[in-house]
Amino acid sequence: MPEPLARLDGVSKSFGDVIAVVELSLSVNRGEIYGLLGPNGAGKTTALRMLAGLLVPSSGTACIAGRDANTEWAKKQLGYLSGSTGLFGRLTPREILDYFGQIYGLEKSDIRERVARLVPALALENILDRHSEVLSTGERQRVSIARAVLHDPPVLILDEPTAGLDVLASRFLRDFVRKERSRGKAVLFSTHYLAEAELLCDRVGFLHHGRLLCEGSPAEIRARQSASTLEAAFLSLADAHEAVP
Amino acid sequence: MNLRHVRLTFGKEIREALRDRRTLAVMILLPLVVYPLLSLVAAQVAMGREKNREERPSSVAFSGTGPARDALEARLGGKPTQFVLLPRGSLADVESGKLDSLVEIDAPSADTLTVLFDASRDESRIAEERLGELVAKVLPDGCAPSFAMKSRNLAPQARMGGYLLSKALPLFVVLMVLLGAFYPAIDVTAGERERGTLETVLCAPIRRVDLMFGKVLAVAALATLTGLLNLASMAITLLQILRLTSQTVVLDVPWGHALLSSLVILPTSLLCASAFVALGATARTLKEAQTVMLPVYFLTVAPAMAGAIGEYRLAGITTWVPGMNLTLLARDLLVGRASWSGAIATLLATAAFSAVALVAAARVYASERLVIPARRDPKRPVNVRSTGAGDAMTLFALAFLLLYFVFLPLERRNLAAGLLAAEWIGLFGLVLVYARMSGQRFAHVTGLGRARGRALLGAVLIGCGAWAAVAVFSEWLVPVPKYVLEGLRKSIMPVAGRSHLWTLVLMSLSPAVCEETLFRGPILRGLGTRMGPPATIVLTAVLFGLFHLDIYRLIPATLLGILLGYLAHESGSIVPSMLAHFCNNAILVTLARAGLDQRIETLSHRSLTLVVLASLAMTGTGVALVRGSAARIQL
Repeated sequence: MPEPLARLDGVSKSFGDVIAVVELSLSVNRGEIYGLLGPNGAGKTTALRMLAGLLVPSSGTACIAGRDANTEWAKKQLGYLSGSTGLFGRLTPREILDYFGQIYGLEKSDIRERVARLVPALALENILDRHSEVLSTGERQRVSIARAVLHDPPVLILDEPTAGLDVLASRFLRDFVRKERSRGKAVLFSTHYLAEAELLCDRVGFLHHGRLLCEGSPAEIRARQSASTLEAAFLSLADAHEAVP
Repeated sequence: MNLRHVRLTFGKEIREALRDRRTLAVMILLPLVVYPLLSLVAAQVAMGREKNREERPSSVAFSGTGPARDALEARLGGKPTQFVLLPRGSLADVESGKLDSLVEIDAPSADTLTVLFDASRDESRIAEERLGELVAKVLPDGCAPSFAMKSRNLAPQARMGGYLLSKALPLFVVLMVLLGAFYPAIDVTAGERERGTLETVLCAPIRRVDLMFGKVLAVAALATLTGLLNLASMAITLLQILRLTSQTVVLDVPWGHALLSSLVILPTSLLCASAFVALGATARTLKEAQTVMLPVYFLTVAPAMAGAIGEYRLAGITTWVPGMNLTLLARDLLVGRASWSGAIATLLATAAFSAVALVAAARVYASERLVIPARRDPKRPVNVRSTGAGDAMTLFALAFLLLYFVFLPLERRNLAAGLLAAEWIGLFGLVLVYARMSGQRFAHVTGLGRARGRALLGAVLIGCGAWAAVAVFSEWLVPVPKYVLEGLRKSIMPVAGRSHLWTLVLMSLSPAVCEETLFRGPILRGLGTRMGPPATIVLTAVLFGLFHLDIYRLIPATLLGILLGYLAHESGSIVPSMLAHFCNNAILVTLARAGLDQRIETLSHRSLTLVVLASLAMTGTGVALVRGSAARIQL
């Protein structure tokens, strides 16, 4: 069986006395969209930050393509995007893409070529040379996507990327993620919009108080919990978890 | 206009602002503390300058002979504290600074003498003033020969221009560079975090130390540009003024020296950029970054101002005071009197401070504090109170204000009553009120708990031993003037008399109990919620040093404060630090009363070395005993 492109293995993370993630294990394979679901404060962002090399696990291992996530090599295999991801407001999208392209070690000519490919795919034609601070939320998110995939990474980590987006922008993002999956990318996607996960994810994991309550395809989980929707399944799992003394 | 809406909005904004402790700290408490502190520094610098002037005699030589010379020489001889008469001297000596003034007797029978001096040197100006006073006193006597005095300034126009510029320009340039680094540093650190761009960059394959260096260099470049633009603007303005007033003004601008002086901008920029980026990286928001960085800004401005208004030489300790050293170097370069040793020492000190700041910044950038800056406990219920860093700084500010505005005036009227009130009301009472208002137990707020025997033994060793090493080291760094020592002795042994026991209560027991209750209590514990133990102990000690309101006691009090903070941290209780503080003060008071402090000043180098070695041995043993003696205070 091929090595998963993104893997957390028995990972825990605490900040002082606060335990954010407890012995979390999950893996995302090539050409798969994995949805990490849970309410606010469940530990989703902490888990993704460990995979992105932003935080070091207190115990356990976080790997990208079989190597420690906290290395420059692993970061080159990764495109990271979050709902709160900011853009340098006083730079234009072209300048931002140029800056990140160079950090990822791309040649200037490569950057130009890739930007030219991304512009029609992400509808950036009219905003490429405007200051980012004047762009709308949807436009900013499209630029952020371009920034995340500019170096064509095999792994995409998207932390609540649709937070604050309107319906059209959300649909645009979901379509883009599906296309990336079809190109063989491993996509780890966190959200607390369960309906969105149901539409998009091949497998999902429910995180609650830092613990993974269950994992499987949306259909499997619905069946396991005898629920009609993922939301109902999650509520049932969360109630059962809270009831444990 | 709907006045009701205006009123509602006004009320809401004020309520929000007053509930933001950081706004309160910056807007209200910081200025209330900073200006009294700056005024104290300025007053002490001015007093020191005056005393230095009084204590330093002017070197004077004569050229030519005659009755005027004989009369004046006799007068000079009668004032040995004001004049040193040298057998010979020349114009070149005055110009090179070897001689303060040369008195020329034009002809043996002439009734006019000329005082040659260098108006671009303060010492030479003082000599000219003193000679003027002396001659004026000779004239009305009637018995003395009647002669007149003329003064001639030997300083060339360019040097005079440099001298006048040196009074303001160096300080202004340092201030502008500080400001030039301040806002960009906030923007590239806390601003990036607030805008969410920092996380994006950290996910990219860029080493954090590279990111940090890039930011420091960018801030340094912007600060340098600010400094250069300000300097250029000032130079152009000055040039214009000189053009407009060329008929009357007899000075020139030393452009070469001004250009050389502008080189000081570079190390200043690098130091400011390193320090501000390190501080800014620890802040969650722009507002928090301002709160963290403003005190550092003021702490750098204060010595820079002291350097500008005081008559300090760039040598010894002054080369190691950030802000002051660069101001003095810029001044010396401007007047063309910079020494290689002073310049090299200043650059080395600035490089050392910059390196420390860069290491601190690199540590912040390498740590998870960059992603999650503050240690927060979201599970802690809101109604559970504990002392935070904001509480610590507010308590310090309140204690400082009470001391400055209430108890110091009281001490001037009645020393004993003022001291007791300052300690027991201003410090101990303040902590009591705070504990009550915050709903915490006094023992919990202060760390007043039982300590183990070896911690107490260690405290006694430190308290009885550290004073000598602290005193010698402080004296080496900043020599205490005699008038300051005399003032201290008078307060320990007032003319009206006071028993030794009562002096010990006033100056040892009270400070030990009350100062430890505040400083090693809520201040140490509160600051410990935002930074690591070493930084917390040092910052608390610096606040403790500042609280003594005396630039000459700042260093010894800070050094003692570091030891006391270490004691409290390692033992988990303030009882050992109280004990050590008491022993330290009791020994100093007893030595002063017995007159032994003056005998220490006369000890030979060998004896003094032995005393210091014994002091260090006792302190080291005490530190080793206290280390890990109990559950540490959670800093």
